[in-house]
Amino acid sequence: MNRKTSLLGLGVVLGAAVTLAAPQTLSHLSPAAYAAASDTYRQLNLFGDVFDKIRNDYVEKPDEAKLIEAAINGMLSSLDPHSSYMDAKAFKDMQVQTKGEFGGLGIEVTQEDGLIKVVTPIDDTPAAKAGIMSGDIIAAIDDTPTQGLTLDQAVEKMRGAINSPVKLKIVRGPKKEVKDYTVVRDLIRVQSVRSHVEGGDVAYIRITQFTEQTADGLKEAMDKLKSEIPADKFKGYILDLRNNPGGLLDQSIAVVNSFIDRGEIVSTRGRTPDETQRFDARSGGDLSGGKPLVVLINGGSASASEIVSGALQDHKRATLIGTRSFGKGSVQTIMPLGQDGALRLTTARYYTPSGRSIQAKGIEPDYKVLEDVPSDLKGKDDMKGEASLKGHLANGEEDTSASQAYVPPEEKDDKQLKAAIGLLHGEKPAQAASADADAAKPKIEAGKADVSSPASPADAAKPN
Amino acid sequence: MPRGFSFLVVGILAGAALTGASHGALRAATSSNASSGVPLFAEVFDKVRSKYADKPDDNKLIRGAIDGMLASLDPHSTYFDPKALQDFQTTMKGEEFGGLGLEVMMEDGLVKVVSPIDETPAARAGLMSGDMITRIDETPVKGLTLKEAVDKMRGPAKSSVRLLVQRGASKDVKEYAIVREIIHVQSVRSHIESDDIGYVRITQFNQEAYDGLRKAFDHFRTDPGEAKLKGYILDLRNNPGGLLNQAVEIANAFVDSGPIVTTRGRNAEEQQSYSARPGVNLSQGKPLVVLINGGSASASEIVSGALQDLKRGTLIGTRSFGKGSVQTILPLGEEGALKLTTARYYTPSGRSIQAKGIGPDVVVIENIPDDLKGKVSSLGEASLLGHLKNGADEEKGSDAYVPPDRSKDTQLQAAIRLLHGAKLDSLKTAPATVTSQ
Repeated sequence: MNRKTSLLGLGVVLGAAVTLAAPQTLSHLSPAAYAAASDTYRQLNLFGDVFDKIRNDYVEKPDEAKLIEAAINGMLSSLDPHSSYMDAKAFKDMQVQTKGEFGGLGIEVTQEDGLIKVVTPIDDTPAAKAGIMSGDIIAAIDDTPTQGLTLDQAVEKMRGAINSPVKLKIVRGPKKEVKDYTVVRDLIRVQSVRSHVEGGDVAYIRITQFTEQTADGLKEAMDKLKSEIPADKFKGYILDLRNNPGGLLDQSIAVVNSFIDRGEIVSTRGRTPDETQRFDARSGGDLSGGKPLVVLINGGSASASEIVSGALQDHKRATLIGTRSFGKGSVQTIMPLGQDGALRLTTARYYTPSGRSIQAKGIEPDYKVLEDVPSDLKGKDDMKGEASLKGHLANGEEDTSASQAYVPPEEKDDKQLKAAIGLLHGEKPAQAASADADAAKPKIEAGKADVSSPASPADAAKPN
Repeated sequence: MPRGFSFLVVGILAGAALTGASHGALRAATSSNASSGVPLFAEVFDKVRSKYADKPDDNKLIRGAIDGMLASLDPHSTYFDPKALQDFQTTMKGEEFGGLGLEVMMEDGLVKVVSPIDETPAARAGLMSGDMITRIDETPVKGLTLKEAVDKMRGPAKSSVRLLVQRGASKDVKEYAIVREIIHVQSVRSHIESDDIGYVRITQFNQEAYDGLRKAFDHFRTDPGEAKLKGYILDLRNNPGGLLNQAVEIANAFVDSGPIVTTRGRNAEEQQSYSARPGVNLSQGKPLVVLINGGSASASEIVSGALQDLKRGTLIGTRSFGKGSVQTILPLGEEGALKLTTARYYTPSGRSIQAKGIGPDVVVIENIPDDLKGKVSSLGEASLLGHLKNGADEEKGSDAYVPPDRSKDTQLQAAIRLLHGAKLDSLKTAPATVTSQ
């Protein structure tokens, strides 16, 4: 397996590196190649037979490309929930996601009652400079009304080539004042790392997803935090991985390496022993100066997030606070295919330094701390995790129960964050056992409710 | 279209029999005439086989591909593996199998008894309509498909099976040990209604449907007898369809001549018209009421559409399902068969009922008990994902509830009143409840 092509994303949101390994020769299967494997040949024959019958006898002339795509998707979804086929457009979207940059306006938008609403304009972007404001409703994009568009379609319309203009019709405030803006697109970088100083002595870093920008973003953030907090007061770091669905494998390794200087970070194992690959910390990579570290995780922390928290936990480098993580212990590789599409295929499982696979189990925090979920969100903000996904890779004793994936928008209500700050100040968090007992009831209720799909935490707001 | 060796079928649940079918030589997926898509498929297949994290099961992969491809076409095209094909043939032939004698459906992940069939082990053991089956032998029903549950209940005659059953609002749990018997699927049931009406219910159009109808009519000629017989009620409610040729025969049982149905495939030369043949009509021209509801589909709609267009019957009930397509069973050698949508059908007046259904001449709605409200409505073809489109005026389905108590069956009572001379208009305002007689 090629390291550069590996990703650990969850759902449709994340993807792989764009710098792909040289594609293998696109061998069209010759029947002779399969003569040996007669059963396989028989199976392929059956498929060909069904395909021919549809082409000849279906009530309408079928779209053959669509048929093949449906066949490929059917085949892949029979494997596991993370293997899929991407057509040219989906592949391009995924590359944009993982690259973390694109031509756009710099607004985070969400959909509310069918309307496209500005969550926030991102600082120093064309949207912010033009004066777009939080809460603005985007009523039309280049004269196309947004009513009836999906969020994805609206985002698609706002993105485009750098230096190209886009017209927005904005409806603002309770008076519904209508304003027209013409904004010129620029290169927008998705900030996957956000940081600030907490209480004057704690460095808080949140990673929203593992894109190509993450390791650099983390280094920048750590440098800045070190300059802002006097060394004698510096109590430690909080690394917030809550609701981080994952991303690129190499980036997760770099993030771990920023907190440890040696030792194994993760190993991946494919079908055969020769595909086993071990990733170790490079000496000199540690930027943390050995300061104490708390990692926050919850039911929405998956994949690359679990590699990071698993490694830091096994090395006893960090204390994990929050709720059990999602449990996605597999690695997908992107393989370019055909014209412009690509295959995203589960090629390996990964193992933490102590040799455990967290597949369908998740990582238990060292201190379980639950958030108070507002009553209108109860049951909706829990994640059922990998073990409840249909067709997931099996892994012995699994944990199918739901885990909380709610982060209060107000910092003052964030009990997990407060516990982390407290711990860095020498206060032990409240006993995990009592938290467990409290958790029992809402968890059972949540188990019955229809919980959000694994992709949803990262889907909530879309930058464009 | 390989008409020579395939039956035409119409049905949501039902399909065709496969007798003496031959098949063409298997063609390799990679044959030179294959379109450009197939190499792409083969490439993915190859990559999955060589790179997937675990060694994949080739059968499962191909099965997933075929299912995915067919699901992208429409909701009625499916693949039958050899076992599924055999079950399907059993149903269509009205063949006998070892079982308990239960009509069941899936509800909330459990198997619900629709009704125990008279004089079967299930009925004798005391199973009741509405019972929820939660366990079959040692296997919990939760997580099983309806088909898997049915397979577990079937078995050789004289073998026994244990059912754990929840009953009623209090969910009393009871366990039954029942010995299987040979169950004969009867697609036609009949009786005399109000001393002077021949009532015939067809539950599905299997190969024995027309014969069953003829036997019922033979019986009517002696009881109540030709002179006394006021007319017929043909009950097609909740009949999901079946064989096209049986639908044509059943319609023909009420008319002497005229077109019954036309099927049209992709190309003009695939059009085929079916007309009434002389000597098949069994009805002596007596008045006819056809009962339909949201569960009447496909072959049921061919029959009711033809009889409506030919003005041979009065349709009472609610709008039918709206499945206006024909599936053909295409054999795949030893690998089972393909059930593929190959044509649309058109009623004698030339209308396609696809995603529209048939509106009855007189709409009569059943009173649905409170505990069933919202559960017995059929959303119809128009609401199925990926259904064949049919213009802008598609129609949703309707209720699919038939009261178990005949005296409370408003649609049936309206049919009886019409055959007893009531005016059409008076039926529409049928009282909400009919007192029992």
